[in-house]
Amino acid sequence: MLAKKIDEVRYHTEISQKVIRRKRNLTSLGNSMLFLGPSTIFFAITVVIPFIYGIYLTLNKMDSPTDAMVFSGLLNYVNAVKDAEFWSSLWLTIKFVVATVFFVNLVGFGLAYLVTSGMKIQNSLRTAYFTPNLIGGLVLGYIWQFVFVQSLPALGDKLGISWLKLGWLGDPHMAFWALVIVTIWQTSGYMMIIFIAGLISIPKDLIEAAKIDGAGAFRRLINITLPLMVPSFVVTIFLSLKNAFMVYDLNFSLTKGGPFNSTLMVSMHVVNKAFVEANYGTGQAEAIILFLIVAIVTGIQVYSSKKMEVEA
Amino acid sequence: MTAKKIVASTFVYLIAFIALACFIFPFILLMINSFKSNGEIITNPFSLPSHWDFAHFSDVIAKMNFLVTFKNSVLITLISTLLIVFFSAMAAYHMVRKPTKYNKIFFTILVASMVIPFQSLMIPLIYIYGAKLQLIDLIPIPLLICFYIGFGSALSIFMFHGFMKSIPLEVEEAARIDGCNTLQTFFLIVFPMLKPITVTIAILNVLWIWNDYLLPSLVLNNETVYTMPVQMKVFNGTYMNNWELLIPAILLTVLPILIMYMIGQKSIINGVMQGSIK
Amino acid sequence: MVNFKALLKKSTLVGAAAALTMSLAACSGKTSGNAASSDSPVNIIVTNGKGEIDAQFKQAAKDFMKANPNIHVDVKSIAVGDTLNMYDKLTASGKTVTIAMFDPYSALHKYKEVGMDLSNEKWNAETTYALKDANGKVIGFPFAVEGMGLVYNQKVVEKATGGKFDPFSINTQDKLKALLDKIKASGVQYPVSYQTEAWSVGNHYSSLFLDQDSDPNVILDKLKAGKMDLTKNAVWNGYYDTLNLLTSKTYNKYGDRPLGQYYDAAHVAVGKGDSAILFNGDWAFDSLKAVAGDNFGFMPVPVDNNPDNPLNNKIAVGPTQVLVINKKATKSQQDAAKKFLNWLVYDQAGQDFIVNKAQIISAFKNNPNKVTNPLGVAISNAIAQNKTMPFSTNYINTSDWSTIIGPEVQKYIGKQESRKDLAKALESYYKSHQE
Repeated sequence: MLAKKIDEVRYHTEISQKVIRRKRNLTSLGNSMLFLGPSTIFFAITVVIPFIYGIYLTLNKMDSPTDAMVFSGLLNYVNAVKDAEFWSSLWLTIKFVVATVFFVNLVGFGLAYLVTSGMKIQNSLRTAYFTPNLIGGLVLGYIWQFVFVQSLPALGDKLGISWLKLGWLGDPHMAFWALVIVTIWQTSGYMMIIFIAGLISIPKDLIEAAKIDGAGAFRRLINITLPLMVPSFVVTIFLSLKNAFMVYDLNFSLTKGGPFNSTLMVSMHVVNKAFVEANYGTGQAEAIILFLIVAIVTGIQVYSSKKMEVEA
Repeated sequence: MTAKKIVASTFVYLIAFIALACFIFPFILLMINSFKSNGEIITNPFSLPSHWDFAHFSDVIAKMNFLVTFKNSVLITLISTLLIVFFSAMAAYHMVRKPTKYNKIFFTILVASMVIPFQSLMIPLIYIYGAKLQLIDLIPIPLLICFYIGFGSALSIFMFHGFMKSIPLEVEEAARIDGCNTLQTFFLIVFPMLKPITVTIAILNVLWIWNDYLLPSLVLNNETVYTMPVQMKVFNGTYMNNWELLIPAILLTVLPILIMYMIGQKSIINGVMQGSIK
Repeated sequence: MVNFKALLKKSTLVGAAAALTMSLAACSGKTSGNAASSDSPVNIIVTNGKGEIDAQFKQAAKDFMKANPNIHVDVKSIAVGDTLNMYDKLTASGKTVTIAMFDPYSALHKYKEVGMDLSNEKWNAETTYALKDANGKVIGFPFAVEGMGLVYNQKVVEKATGGKFDPFSINTQDKLKALLDKIKASGVQYPVSYQTEAWSVGNHYSSLFLDQDSDPNVILDKLKAGKMDLTKNAVWNGYYDTLNLLTSKTYNKYGDRPLGQYYDAAHVAVGKGDSAILFNGDWAFDSLKAVAGDNFGFMPVPVDNNPDNPLNNKIAVGPTQVLVINKKATKSQQDAAKKFLNWLVYDQAGQDFIVNKAQIISAFKNNPNKVTNPLGVAISNAIAQNKTMPFSTNYINTSDWSTIIGPEVQKYIGKQESRKDLAKALESYYKSHQE
């Protein structure tokens, strides 16, 4: 009799446990949908579906985007791979990436450190360093054209410095560095903001403890600040990588890829191919290939640096 | 202050000022040139204006249908930013606290999507939502907001994800013990602690959306719904830009963001105060 | 808390349902979109390729609509520098553009399936600039006539020559060089300000050699067949000899560093009188007038030292923008479009819009108005004196030339490649681009 009662109780407990577990699973499923749902829906609508359709388009031969579609399999990809200019502009872009990512992060971090160090005018400095980013892509190029084409040569005339006089934008090497300089100028402020957020999130007590222990400013920087700044660096390096690989607005408005296509970066080449040269299918295919390459590079970067993130 | 400290701090101030000059001079260039005529701008971009002509600003305001365009920009930017920030914070929170395989895969897809070249999406977007679904004609502004949320989520989630880890787990566990469910824990405890990064992400989104030209130029086909950057394009000529109108237009577009940034900055600093009381 | 979650879930479901229903409704409601009954207004979309006349065009549309209350004209001007041009963007989003403004080459190649036959339209009798396709059918309404050549500042040149200057008196290379020397002697250190933008040195200057036959297509066919050795062609070489003269260190303001973005600076220099000559078209006046109101004119670009060579005595002039009517538009839209084109030619308000308001040289003989900007006047005079040759740029693929040929010419000017290399580049381009 007692054994039967115990069995009953055990049976009921199992059922109620199952019910609780199911409820918890449902709740956690509900939570997942609630927390992830909205972002996922909008992301799917805006990016995923059009991207899949975009890939479908690359399987068709189309000269202009409004042409009728003629199925052509992988022909566009073959043409893309055969396009020598695609690869040469990609190589040029890689050089550009290496130059900008390093300097942008260096300058951005330096500025952020400067404006959180407790200087008296740091608030106004913070705004001032940010202003370049307020000016959008094409206009930025026009402004810097003024500088490189007219003002630097004028300055060179007055001071008698001959290499300033050379129109920067007329020489392939100087045009390249002109692009790098303007990119650093424009995006350092953006990275600075991200670094600021990271810097002020460092718990003050950690810094205080280090100071009490006798650590100098440099020591504190290396051992405390930088390790805790890894999340910020993950973001900024990713962003500066992506921006450099995909540079278009500045390329178009500052040098137009000139002189004689010597500063034609890969994004501009792809746009020219798809929309200007009326070779839409191949241009799209090149865009997809570019995406794959950059995705792999940045994927490696994010993955390896996420491992370095320190939990509080 | 010791001599060494004086030298060090002077050095720091010097660097700060050189950087200041480098960063701010194009802006100053824009400001002094906004009062000049086309001829003066091209011949003497660096000189002070011969007379300070405010007429260009009123010209621009009239030609750009300023009130309507400004309202459109504000509407789209504010709503998109608010929704992006909220939805992304929630999504990032979930992915950080529950690092399941699915969540990790989704995160990877998000990050990879940021690298998709926009040109490859232009035609599909207007084909699907224009030609097929006619939404571009019917509801351009809500559709544009949806697109901004779609495009902006990846970066915001990415940034929240990194900074979410700095919220100590003990605080959340304490809340759980007190009886909060996940939603309460998030909104009442975690979200307020993220204030500096939230404001930063909000600022970055506002900046991007406010100045964005490409997406609105595809979706907004009617002058009454144009945003500022799209409307400004009329001042770009085939061979020569109409600088005397373009430059005041740029300043009028940039000024609101500058003000917003200065205000936003203050709350980041206040966030620091709160954080240190932590 | 439970209520909050449930509310959120409910609103997401409702929102999704609403979006679905809306899209379904939208899909089904569009069947009758473009077809119009005789009572409801006909809607036509016009794309305008000249962004600078957007305001005037829209005003013209308003005037036309007042006279034709059952036609609604929607003018969409291109935004300069857009990757996706207005026609492609509208067509890809499902709209039908009834009247499209194209350059002649695009109208005959990239968009050759678009334009309908307009050979029977009345206005053909008033113009020689109508665009014909390969079968001789008229498919393009000539909207704007423009010309290009050596733009000169009249005040500066006349100060150097000491009297009234006839631009057509400079009809040999030697005479041009003598003029440049005279200008130098009068105190202008650099008589030429040469801008080397790819579209200028490529599309415009480097296509001039096609005019050596009265039908440039003859030359193009020879090139495509590989039967033309440019290095042995006197005209082709002649133009580059002149280019060497114009970009040389002696005469060119930028001769030390000829490559760069000098468009604005060059026009300022010539406009103010710091320099005298540049190579461009009559649209240059927009830039020149911003600086000074001086008088300007056009000289032909000399190709050799034979004063009787027609190329030395003519300026390249032609229709740079044509309007086509979309074959895919409905019949009522096409009729409305034809009415609009007639209005542009025969109605006083239409004629006034093109010449007086937009300052465009009309392609039609019956237009009594005259443009007032000095460069436009110079071109009109050249037309009246029959001193024009075809606008060579209309025969080339401008997008290809600005991205492929233009940079080659820039390399040549920057002394990075020889004339032989340039010739080879051009020949191999045409061998591989048979379109």
